Amino acid sequence: MRVSNVIRTLQRQLHSPASRGTINASEIAHFSRLSSQWWDEQGEFAFLHRMNPVRVEFIKNKLLEVSREGGEEGMPSSTVLRDLDVLDVGCGGGLLSESLARLGANTLGIDASESNVKIATLHASADPKLRNLTYINAPAESLLDSPKRYDVVCSMEVLEHVDNPASFLSTCAELVKPGGHLFLSTISRTPLAYFLTIFLAEDILRKVSPGTHTYSKFITPTELISFFQKYRSSDSNAVDPRYLEHVTLPKAWISPNASPASPPRTEAEVRGLIYHPLRGQWLLAPRDAWAATDANYIFWVRKPSQ
Amino acid sequence: MTLPLALGTSSAHRLTAKRLLASTSCPRRFSTAQNEPHEECDVVIVGGGPAGLTLASALGSSRIASQNLRVTLVEGGDLSKVKQWSPPSGTYSNRVSSLTNASQTFLKAIGAWTHVDTHRTAPIEEMQVWDGVSDARITFSASEIGLERPQDGMARLTENFNLQRGLLRHLEHLPGVRLIERTKVKSIIRDAEDQGGWPLVHLDNGRVLRARLLVGADGFNSPVRSYAQIPSFGWTYETQGIVATMVHPPRGPFQGPNTTAYQRFLPTGPIAFLPLSPTVSSLVWSTRPRIASALTAFEPGVLASMINAAFRLPEISLRYLYNRIIEAHSTGTPLTHAELQQEILWREQSHAIDANSAYASAIVNVIGDAGVPAADSESVPPLVTSLQPGTVATFPLRFSHTESYIGEGQGSRTVLVGDAAHIVHPLAGQGLNMGLADVECLTRCIENALEQGGDVGSYTALLPYARERYFENHTLMAAIDKVHKLYTTTFEPIVWTRTVGVEVLNELDSVKTALMMTAGARDHKINESAVGWNLAAKGVESLAAGVNAARVVGGGIREMIGTGLQEVLKATSARPRSERD
Repeated sequence: MRVSNVIRTLQRQLHSPASRGTINASEIAHFSRLSSQWWDEQGEFAFLHRMNPVRVEFIKNKLLEVSREGGEEGMPSSTVLRDLDVLDVGCGGGLLSESLARLGANTLGIDASESNVKIATLHASADPKLRNLTYINAPAESLLDSPKRYDVVCSMEVLEHVDNPASFLSTCAELVKPGGHLFLSTISRTPLAYFLTIFLAEDILRKVSPGTHTYSKFITPTELISFFQKYRSSDSNAVDPRYLEHVTLPKAWISPNASPASPPRTEAEVRGLIYHPLRGQWLLAPRDAWAATDANYIFWVRKPSQ
Repeated sequence: MTLPLALGTSSAHRLTAKRLLASTSCPRRFSTAQNEPHEECDVVIVGGGPAGLTLASALGSSRIASQNLRVTLVEGGDLSKVKQWSPPSGTYSNRVSSLTNASQTFLKAIGAWTHVDTHRTAPIEEMQVWDGVSDARITFSASEIGLERPQDGMARLTENFNLQRGLLRHLEHLPGVRLIERTKVKSIIRDAEDQGGWPLVHLDNGRVLRARLLVGADGFNSPVRSYAQIPSFGWTYETQGIVATMVHPPRGPFQGPNTTAYQRFLPTGPIAFLPLSPTVSSLVWSTRPRIASALTAFEPGVLASMINAAFRLPEISLRYLYNRIIEAHSTGTPLTHAELQQEILWREQSHAIDANSAYASAIVNVIGDAGVPAADSESVPPLVTSLQPGTVATFPLRFSHTESYIGEGQGSRTVLVGDAAHIVHPLAGQGLNMGLADVECLTRCIENALEQGGDVGSYTALLPYARERYFENHTLMAAIDKVHKLYTTTFEPIVWTRTVGVEVLNELDSVKTALMMTAGARDHKINESAVGWNLAAKGVESLAAGVNAARVVGGGIREMIGTGLQEVLKATSARPRSERD
């Protein structure tokens, strides 16, 4: 099993201190305190449970779209994840990891909180169908030392909790196979986002523990897109800048001359996630819906094949 | 892998269990809680009634569900008897349901309807509903509600056995579903917390099923509901339902076919005549327990005569006849059919009902009745000549609604459908249809969850089911309950407003709305909304009529109806035995 090899490699490395850490110790402590509640579907994480189907829907739709562009017709949407290697960075209690594993993906969930991983492992062990799912307790950076790369890397509702987003994004991006996919969902830095996710959800409704979110850590879709307009895969970092013009650099993930407000559909996409309070459901906002990405949004970007 | 199993004592049990074991490759594990071998099941349905069988059929015929789920249905009774049900021709079971077009469309979509013998079913093309006191009447027909195929009727009268047999035949073709029959659920125990706390269903043959999702399709005294600790609220109406299969001559050449359903709202409860074939129809008569036991105590001819009278005689005479049979019943004096016919004849004469009128039933003259029928002959059902032997039965009527359809906390991974979740007065014929709509919605939720990699037993996956169905069922049930109370009250102001016909029209309209909104088939979206608009328009019309009438009778009437209703609600909320448990 490839996954178990990775784990063995990792377990050796875990004892060495992580040099490129992006983890915020107080964030880890915060989520460790809440970890027992991960699977209380009506409790602290009810919003995440309800958001999960929409996230999976978006992931499936993008994979399906890309496979259709690649000329693979007629693949039923329920098999699009089958046998893919999927990494869920910051898996928490395993909400997304379990869903991806049920859809047939060889899933590895990784989380920096030991108690999260314990809860996730325990929960999955009760389900006889989750055989293709593994969890490890480690920082994402530790995976870089293994050669294993993934068809799909997801990191949902994590970006707004890390200390050094640029470094975290590079780590996630590095872990994607050429031609693979990176999915992120997070919260934009807008007054609306502040109002909904901090003022309303934490302070007024108390649906989410106060202190879960920090406004200054929120990242806008444009910032994400700009990042991937500059970002090139890692081998380019080894090239001495003086010789740049003599080598063919890997392509930027998103065309640098595209407008950050509307990246080419084949390279990246941003969609708003909107909570419908009457239905008690999250909805995937239509493409280019006005202000839809001003609060919660999901982002997809594809790593160039070469 | 074979494990020793404590099988039932009878050899039949053993055979069934062995065959079932051989035909499936259920993974087995040892639960830490029980240390007993158990079979992993995705969906365990308890109850092999129409709702449970339909759910099994729907999941078994759904592509995504059958690929992903192992479905097991447990039934205490003998399903093979239902599967081999073959009644002598011309005879009909007394348990009949009117399946709306929405229900039929769903049964067709899952492929079960082709296994139902439609020759034994009958379309309802027209309904006549009238008030027993004021005689205010509403008639509505399939052709006026914009159905695509009015000849198929607003609903189709179907014997429950016919439906169940069709579903069982359909299930023979669905390998993803297995049936465990003649096996009762002994207990349901929650698995250890570190095993996820999934429900472990212990069967009386010693087998244990571990359920990702446990479905209670197990009726009013639902063991699944008890396990899930879902409280229910409700009351018994002081009313018994009498059912019977009625035999009558065919409609004459100058009359329409026997496709009209009749319902008369008497102060003791509604009586309904539901056509099954040209010469056979089904009775559902709700009435006071004392009347019900008297009606069914004498020779069947007495009940037949009373049915005819109940659709025809003025209410005051019916009260006289009830007293007559209750007295005979309580004193133990025999009452023959002939004696009763004499009483009815006398009442007819005192009301000046012509012997040739459709409202006369004392002198039955049906032989060679090829002449021109009375002008009002289609305002009442055909005259009942006899009751099919062995079909008279009574049962208590109740209202019951659970507080939730999905289990939480200690009762998680459970969901209720059909009668396990709600029991409603049969006056609108909606009980089974509500159950089938539950099943349709639950199937859809399960498919959606599977599509997104969800856990079909999770609260998140089941929540849309509860949200959609609870509200819809509650609305319908409240309307039906309100109609029942309004019609069976003896509270004077309400009775008075009924006699002047003000509230009656409005209330009949709400019955009509409830019936007809569900009559529209789901795949005819445009038509359905058209029906809605038509009904809305009619609702406004009759409301306007009501206002006019109120203005005529006096300004205070509106208030009076308001307080009257409040009184009813107070009276009924104080009286009923609450059935919380």
